[in-house]
Amino acid sequence: MELGMKCFKRALWIYHMNTGSCNGCDIEIIAALTPRYDVERFGIRLVGTPRHADVIALTGPVTSDMVDKVKRVYEQTPDPKVVLVVGSCGISGGVFHESYHLEGPIDKIIPDGTFVYVPGCPPRPEAIIQGVIKAWEILEEVRGNGRTTQKTEGEKD
Amino acid sequence: MRYTFIPELFRQLFSKPFTNLFPLKYAPASIKDTLDKIKKGEIEINPPVEIPDKEIFRGKIQYDREKCIGCGLCIKVCPAKAIELKKEEKKIRIYVGRCIFCGQCVDACPKGALSQGEEFLLADADKLNKEWVIE
Ligand code: SF4
Ligand code: SF4
Ligand code: SF4
Repeated sequence: MELGMKCFKRALWIYHMNTGSCNGCDIEIIAALTPRYDVERFGIRLVGTPRHADVIALTGPVTSDMVDKVKRVYEQTPDPKVVLVVGSCGISGGVFHESYHLEGPIDKIIPDGTFVYVPGCPPRPEAIIQGVIKAWEILEEVRGNGRTTQKTEGEKD
Repeated sequence: MRYTFIPELFRQLFSKPFTNLFPLKYAPASIKDTLDKIKKGEIEINPPVEIPDKEIFRGKIQYDREKCIGCGLCIKVCPAKAIELKKEEKKIRIYVGRCIFCGQCVDACPKGALSQGEEFLLADADKLNKEWVIE
C-alpha cells in the first residue's frame, strides 16, 4: 500500500465526461493530449472509468438527462478528488444559460465537490493544463504529500 | 527508390521537437515546492504557444471604467448575458465565468470602453474571485 501510494501520487489520471456540451471543450482537452502539448509527459492521462481517476474533467452545462449520470460518476470516483470544470457553460451556463432542459451549472448538481474552473469557450489547451495544475495542487494539499524539501529528490526515505 | 525516407529521417532526428513544453518539461516531485520556487524566481516556466495575431486575439475583457457611459448596448448584444448594469452608478459589471470571449460587446460599445486583452490563463478554484468579476 505504502509503495503503491508512492508510485502513483505523481501521475494524475483524469476521467473526462461530456454533460451536454457542444464538443468544443472536449476537442481542446484532446488537443492538450496531442504531441503539440503532450500532457502525458506529466503522467496525466485520460482513463476509461471514474474508478481509476483522481480528477473528473466535466464539460457542458448538465442537461436534464445527464444529472443522475454526473452524480453517479462523482460518487464512483475515489476520494480525494477534484472536479475540473472546463468551459464557461459548465461554470455558469454560458451561452446555454436559459435553455429549457438545463439543470446545471455543474456545482449545483454536485454541491459538496471541490472545483477548479477553467473559463473560456473553449479555453486554450494551456489554460486547461493550468487548471489541471491547480487541481494537482489541491490534491497535494489534501493528501499531505506535497512538500518534499526534507526528502531527497529521488525520494528514498 | 527504397531509401528515399533517409533524408527525412535525418531531418527529423536532428530537428527540435514540436511539443510546447508549457509549463515545465517534466512533472516535478512536488507542485507546491515548484510553485514556491517559481514565485522566488529560481525556476522559469516555459511560455505557452505564442498568440497567433495579437490584433484579433480574443482574451479576457478589459474594461475602461472612465469611458463607460452606462448605455447598456453591450448588455443587449451579449449572447451569454455575462454583463450586468449597475443602475445607480451607470457602470457595468462583467462576469468572466459566464463570458464566452466572443467580442460582440467590444464591437457594440460606442465609447470604446471595452477591449480584449491577451490574458487567457485564467483557471481558478473560486468562480467569483476578484479577477473574474470586472467592474
Ligand atoms: S464552454 Fe463553449 S466551447 Fe466549451 S462546451 Fe460550452 S459552449 Fe462548447
Ligand atoms: S465577449 Fe461576448 S460573452 Fe463576453 S461579455 Fe462580451 S459580449 Fe458577452
Ligand atoms: S456599451 Fe460601452 S459605454 Fe455602453 S454600457 Fe457597455 S461598456 Fe459602457
